[in-house]
Amino acid sequence: MISAIWDNLKGLYSLLVGMCITARYFFAPRKTVHYPRKVVDPEDLAAYRGPLELTRGKDDESRTRCISCQMCAKGCPGNCITVVKGAEGKLPSTWLYDFSLCCLCGACVEVCPAAAIDFSHRLYLVTTTREELVMDLLADLKSRAAAGPLKPEAGAPEALEAGGGAAAAAALAEAVKSSKAAAGAAGSAVRKEG
Amino acid sequence: MELSNISVTGLIVLIVACLLVIALMVVNAIVMVYAERKGAGFIQRRPGPYEVGPWGILQPVVDSMKLLGKQIFVPSNVDFFLFFAAPVLAFFPVLILFLPIPFGPVLTALKVPDGIVLILAFAGFGLLANLLAGYASNNKYGILGAGRAVSQGVAYEIPMILALLAVVFQTGSMNLSEIAEAQGRWPWSWNIACQPLAFFIYLVTLVAETNRAPFDLPEGESELTAGFHTEYSGMGFALFFLAEYANMLLVSFVCATFFLGGYKGPFLDGFWWTFIKAYAVMCFIVWIRWTFPRVRFDQLLNINWKWLLPLSILNLWVTAVVLKIVGP
Repeated sequence: MISAIWDNLKGLYSLLVGMCITARYFFAPRKTVHYPRKVVDPEDLAAYRGPLELTRGKDDESRTRCISCQMCAKGCPGNCITVVKGAEGKLPSTWLYDFSLCCLCGACVEVCPAAAIDFSHRLYLVTTTREELVMDLLADLKSRAAAGPLKPEAGAPEALEAGGGAAAAAALAEAVKSSKAAAGAAGSAVRKEG
Repeated sequence: MELSNISVTGLIVLIVACLLVIALMVVNAIVMVYAERKGAGFIQRRPGPYEVGPWGILQPVVDSMKLLGKQIFVPSNVDFFLFFAAPVLAFFPVLILFLPIPFGPVLTALKVPDGIVLILAFAGFGLLANLLAGYASNNKYGILGAGRAVSQGVAYEIPMILALLAVVFQTGSMNLSEIAEAQGRWPWSWNIACQPLAFFIYLVTLVAETNRAPFDLPEGESELTAGFHTEYSGMGFALFFLAEYANMLLVSFVCATFFLGGYKGPFLDGFWWTFIKAYAVMCFIVWIRWTFPRVRFDQLLNINWKWLLPLSILNLWVTAVVLKIVGP
């Protein structure tokens, strides 16, 4: 009996804690961006996993690191990757990616032995036909390399290879953590505390 | 105005009061739809409605336009009369319930001696409407929701009445105007100061009686699609919605009158204090709706029968003993 009363008092206290959390969120600044009028701050996109892109080569930034091993194409559950090996060494001649079939599971990124694929931060991808969603990633890589050399920044996917293992992973984890904290819904906080 | 000597002027007063109450209910629904959606948004760190009009302020108006323009769909094999009687029955009794509420010292439509009995008696109509809606709509979710509404409403009415009865014991009157009049001007002389447990019990039962989250079992979306109003579309649904907000407002006004000093407040008494207090309670209801997850049905009944009911009886008993010793 005593323990039941005590449990219920504790339960009531946890309700109060939950109400404090929602009250705090009520007065906290909003994170929503009114899209057509404003765009998301690129820093907030550090942990965003958009459609695939090819990472830049070590020496020549317009060259892909892809070795045409077909691991990504085999591992893809949606069959959205087409890699054709070219005549010149291991380099691919065609690298097609059908974003309309992609479920962004990341199996290709995980499996790639050459770290040639990564998620991009492209958020505003709008097309009117499905055909436009089939992307030639080799051409995309060339155009990006032509636009300018890569600026080293923390949390960017390319930094993973450049910075080497631990430091970049820590930076990425930090970015993920901060974005999670920002988006943490009141409900999950209540569940944790109550 | 006393009921015993109804005159022509009394009738005119009643009709005007009814019209004002209808206006209040509709305006309240529009304001509360907006406040609720904004509140939900802010609590979840979104902006809420903001596209329609400045700060989305026209959103409830557009919503009601949409509901007006919608087809009223009648499923096959419904009990036609009950199906359309239910939303009307949900909406109209609330009208009568507002009449004995003392909004201000003068602004009271019906100064009946047993105002709270009138309110508690007619409040059962809302329950009947939910039951009929679920029963008549020939839908398994509807009938389940109706069953839940009845067992929940019947259960929670008891501690609610006992909590209000403690205040009635203390004041020695069932007249809402006298109960408001008996309280002082400052918060420590309101009934909440000497009846905190009754206030707490009333606050919990008020949420359950109005079928609001976390006690919105009769319309629990995750298991019953929409519960008793699953089959209602267009204005049928809108009437249930309107009745829900009107019921919320009513229990908030009763709460303000019984526990928060009614129209009495610091500096200057008047109807503004009743409205400020009632809308503070409304904001509290919205706040807890977006904070707490829905309880399970056995938890809901356990809270009532194992905790609220014994506590309210204990509270009533202590009140009676103290009044016997100290004197009214």
